Amino acid sequence: MMNPGLTIAAPVVSSVAARICAGIGVLSLVAGAILSPASVWPYLLLLSYAMIGLGLGAAAFIALQYIVGSGWSAAFRRVPEAMIAAMPLGFVGLWIVFLAHPSTYPWYGVSHDAAPGVAWFKHAWLSWPFFLVRAAVYMVIWEAFAFAMIRHSRRQDATGDVSHTKSNIHLSAGFLAAFGITSFLASVDWIMSLKPDWYSTMFGWYNFAGMFESALAVIILMTIWLERRGQFRGVINEAHLYDLGKLLFAFSTFWMYLWFSQYMLIWYSNIPEETVYFTARLRGWWLPLSIASILLNWIVPFVALMSQPVKRNAGALAKVAIVVLVGRWLDLYVMIFPSQTPGGPVFGVWEAGMTIGTIAAFLIVVFAALNRAPLVPMGDPYIRESLHHH
Amino acid sequence: MSNRYVVSLFENEHDLLEAVRTARERKFTIVDVHTPYAVHGLDAAMGARPSWMSWACAAFGLTGVTTMMAFQYWAAAVDWPVNVGGKPWNSIPAYVPVTFEAMVFAAGLGMVLTFFLACRLYPGRRARVPDPRVTDDRFAIVLEEADAAFDLDDVRRLFGRLGAVEVREHVSEVAP
Repeated sequence: MMNPGLTIAAPVVSSVAARICAGIGVLSLVAGAILSPASVWPYLLLLSYAMIGLGLGAAAFIALQYIVGSGWSAAFRRVPEAMIAAMPLGFVGLWIVFLAHPSTYPWYGVSHDAAPGVAWFKHAWLSWPFFLVRAAVYMVIWEAFAFAMIRHSRRQDATGDVSHTKSNIHLSAGFLAAFGITSFLASVDWIMSLKPDWYSTMFGWYNFAGMFESALAVIILMTIWLERRGQFRGVINEAHLYDLGKLLFAFSTFWMYLWFSQYMLIWYSNIPEETVYFTARLRGWWLPLSIASILLNWIVPFVALMSQPVKRNAGALAKVAIVVLVGRWLDLYVMIFPSQTPGGPVFGVWEAGMTIGTIAAFLIVVFAALNRAPLVPMGDPYIRESLHHH
Repeated sequence: MSNRYVVSLFENEHDLLEAVRTARERKFTIVDVHTPYAVHGLDAAMGARPSWMSWACAAFGLTGVTTMMAFQYWAAAVDWPVNVGGKPWNSIPAYVPVTFEAMVFAAGLGMVLTFFLACRLYPGRRARVPDPRVTDDRFAIVLEEADAAFDLDDVRRLFGRLGAVEVREHVSEVAP
C-alpha cells in the first residue's frame, strides 16, 4: 500500500523568475503609492482581500471535508492546506493599507457628531482602534484554527493515529462556527465600510460565495497541475475532478443566487440609501464590468460545467477554473472601485505590476508550504478510500 | 432467448464492480445488476449507455420556467395590473424567485414520475428481485445463459475467486 512514489516533494516554484515578479509587485506598489495613490491603495486592499479569501476558503474547504466525514478529498488535501499559507500574505497587505493609508476608508477621521442619537452603533463600530482590534482578532482566530488543523494533519503522517482526525473534526466544527461569523464581519468591515452609509444584510454571504468559489478554482488548478507534472499521477483520477467540478458548479450557482438575492432585495424596496450601490455599478463603464462579472462567475461555469464529460476532463475544467478566477477578481473590482474612483474604472501599469507580483508571491509561499510535508497524507484513515475514489 | 439465468451474490460493492468488469471482459450477457443502494461507477462498469433522464429533467425544468414566467406576466401585467412602488407592471426581477421554485418543483416532480414510468413502477406492482437480500446487504449480478458455450462451473469458479458468496441457476420465462 505504501507507495514511496506518492510522497515525493512538490516542485519548488521559488525560482528566480517568480522572485523577480514578486519584486516587480513591490516596486509597483511603492511607485504607485506615490504617483497614483487614489487607485493603488484600494487595489492593494483588493489583492490582499482576494489572497485572504483563497487561504480562508481553503481552510473552510478542509473543515467541511472533516466535519462531514468525507473520504474522497484526503488524497489532495495537502493542496488546500498549502493554500492557507497565502493568508498571512494577505494580512500583511491589509495592514499596510490600514497603517499607511487609512483614509482609503472614507469614515476614517470623520466625526459623526452631526447625526447624534441616530447612528450611535455605527459610530461605535466604525471607530478606528476598534476596527484594527477586530481585524487582528479575526486574523488570530483564523490562523490559530488553521495552524492547529495543519499540525494534526502533518503529525498523522508519521503516526497514522486516528486521534488526529478526531481532533481535526472538533477543530473544524469550532472553526466553521467562528468562520461563519468572522468572515461575514470581515467583509462588512473591510469592503462594505468603503461606502459607510450603504448597507446590505446579504453582503457577507455574497462575499463568502465568491471566496469559496475562487478557493475551489485554485484547488482545481493546482491539483490538475500537480497531476500533469506527475506528482499526483495515480493519486488523482477523473472521479476527484468530477466531484471538484460539481462543487465549482454548485458554488458558482450559489454566488449568482446570492448576487441576485442582494440585487432583488434592494431593487424591490427601492430605498435611495440602498439603491445607491447598484446605481453606481449600473452606469457608465461599471455596467459592462458588472455584466462581465456575472458572465465569468456564473454563466460561463454554469453552461460549461453542466455536462458530465467536461467536469471529468482536466483541460476543460482547468479553463473554467481560470475563468472563475478572473471573475472573482472582477467581482471584487466592481465591489471596491466604484466608491474609490467614481469617475470610472482605473487600471494602470502599477495595478498590472501588483497583480503579477501577487500571483508570484502566492505561488512562492504556497509551493514552499507544499514542500514542507509529503504531498499525499498517507497516514490519513481515509487515504485508501480516497485513492480508490470512483 | 434462453430461459436459464445465473444469479451471483456478492457481499460488497468492490467485489461486485470487479465481477461486473470481469463479466464484461468475458462477454457474458449481463441481464441486470441489483444493489441495495446506488453504487458509483456501476453504470460505466456495466457499459450502460448514458441516461436520457437528464434531458427529461432539463425539459421539465424549462417547462416550469416558461409556464411560471407566462403566468406571472399574465397575472401581473395583463389580467390585473397593480402598481407596486411605481414599478413597471411587467417587472422581471420580481418573477425570478417564483420562477426558480417552479423550475425546481417541475423538474423534481417530473423526474419522480418519469422514473416510475421508465421502471414501470405503479401501485400494486410486485417487486421482481433475484433475491430479497439485494434490498438489504447483498449485491447480485444476473447473467443470461445466452449460448451453448456458457459454462456454469466456469462462472462459479470465476466469481467464487472474485468473492461471490453464492452462485445459483435460475430457470424461468422472465429474467429474475
